[in-house]
Amino acid sequence: MWLELELVLIILLGIIILGNNRLGTMIQLFALQSFILSTTPLLIHPGKHAVVMAVVTIILKVLLMPWLLFWAIRHASIRREVQPLVGYGKTLILGGFLMGAAFLISAKLDLPVQETSNLLVPTAFSLVMIGFLLLVSRFKAITQVIGYLVMENGIFLFAILLLEKTPLLVEMGILLDIFVGTLVMGIIVNHINQEFRSASTLNLTNLRD
Amino acid sequence: MLPVLLHISVVMILSPLLLGIIGKTKAFFAGRWGPPLLQPYYDIVKLFRKGNVYSTTTTWIFQAAPIISLATVLISAVLIPMGSFKAPLSFWGDIILFAGLYGLARFFLVIAALDTGSSFEGMGASREATFSCLAEVVLFLDFIILALLSKKFVLSEMLEANILSSWPLFGPVLLLVGASYFLVLLTENSRIPIDDPATHLELTMIHEVMVLDHSGWDLAYILYAGAMKLFVLGGLFLNILIPSHGLSPMAQTISFWGGMIVLAVGLGAVESCMARLRLNRIPQLLIGAFVLALVGLLIILVKGV
Repeated sequence: MWLELELVLIILLGIIILGNNRLGTMIQLFALQSFILSTTPLLIHPGKHAVVMAVVTIILKVLLMPWLLFWAIRHASIRREVQPLVGYGKTLILGGFLMGAAFLISAKLDLPVQETSNLLVPTAFSLVMIGFLLLVSRFKAITQVIGYLVMENGIFLFAILLLEKTPLLVEMGILLDIFVGTLVMGIIVNHINQEFRSASTLNLTNLRD
Repeated sequence: MLPVLLHISVVMILSPLLLGIIGKTKAFFAGRWGPPLLQPYYDIVKLFRKGNVYSTTTTWIFQAAPIISLATVLISAVLIPMGSFKAPLSFWGDIILFAGLYGLARFFLVIAALDTGSSFEGMGASREATFSCLAEVVLFLDFIILALLSKKFVLSEMLEANILSSWPLFGPVLLLVGASYFLVLLTENSRIPIDDPATHLELTMIHEVMVLDHSGWDLAYILYAGAMKLFVLGGLFLNILIPSHGLSPMAQTISFWGGMIVLAVGLGAVESCMARLRLNRIPQLLIGAFVLALVGLLIILVKGV
């Protein structure tokens, strides 16, 4: 019951992130989503392993990464996504359809591990889809970073299924990769901004010799 | 016959009070004393003492619309249970009647607005039609979810039957239904953040624009119908969220009427801390509500009932 409530909240936050155009709010929502996500291992596989995972996730995804992203938008002084490739309403409808697809696909999946809740896999897939959608439908580099992080949240959720089987070191390695990735992207956002006076990734398609 | 009369009179007597509580809450948040709790009654009584003014370009439709909107809301009130009062009228498929009645009322208000020939009212009519057609989809999705959960197709049975037993298993789904239905409630009753019932800033109005030319009795009918609509749709919201059936009649009464007051205070609080959304953001909000309901439906289909 509690796990499902958390999963529904996670999807809900994903939808709100998708329909939002303020970068600050998006980052806060992402932090909230990561916080709820970090408590799910405790509900699924209570134990020392889960506690370590939860603490590390909270430190990295709830505190450090949002702080880094806030630093990036402060330095690049961008507030909102002004011209998305696809309008917000259409993105939301698309997101709805993708979530439908995610639910359909995960109903067909035959997983080797015992599922704690049959909502877990659909939620994970939905998050991956929402992240993808954010990545392809927005121009601002920072929104794309958020899309990437939401997608990673989905993968994290999926990996929780295998929590007992994977060594802690692997999980930590993945989290470190994500963190370094975000760090690099935050710096790149800043550089794009300095170079072109806007953080739009459209500028990166121009060729120069 | 008696239960029907009882039901209707309860709605007629108590519905403006809900608006009064909302007004008081908003005044409290703004640090004012605010209008008295019974102000909506005074407004309606005042309007009933006035005469009607009709433009020469209007036809009978303009005069019929307020009466129809009042009548449809009263009929829809009979379909939902309120606390210990059972729904006096219910039959197979009445959920479609419930939605249809509001559609009928809206249709008449819209053509009455067009009947005046004012381009300004036509604009309001077009907005109302657009937003409510988005809201109706969400309403039906919510009904489909509830029908799937309870395996019933009668509105009152659907609300009474399995909601209580559904909460432990389908709590998240019911929360999604509640959230999306709340947005429908706000849209249907043209409250903030969809529409501001107090605004008279012309370009931002939605519902108020349509009824601009109504006066006297007709305006009283429309205001009264609006109050009752909030009451009936709010009652349905409480029936979805509070699994009161199976409790003693006393507990049912307390939970329903207490819930009604909490709902009114909550609406007032929402209206005090939010600004009205820009018009082009409203469809986005309603599409969001649609996606919420859709996710609820998907969860039910995956979990199986």
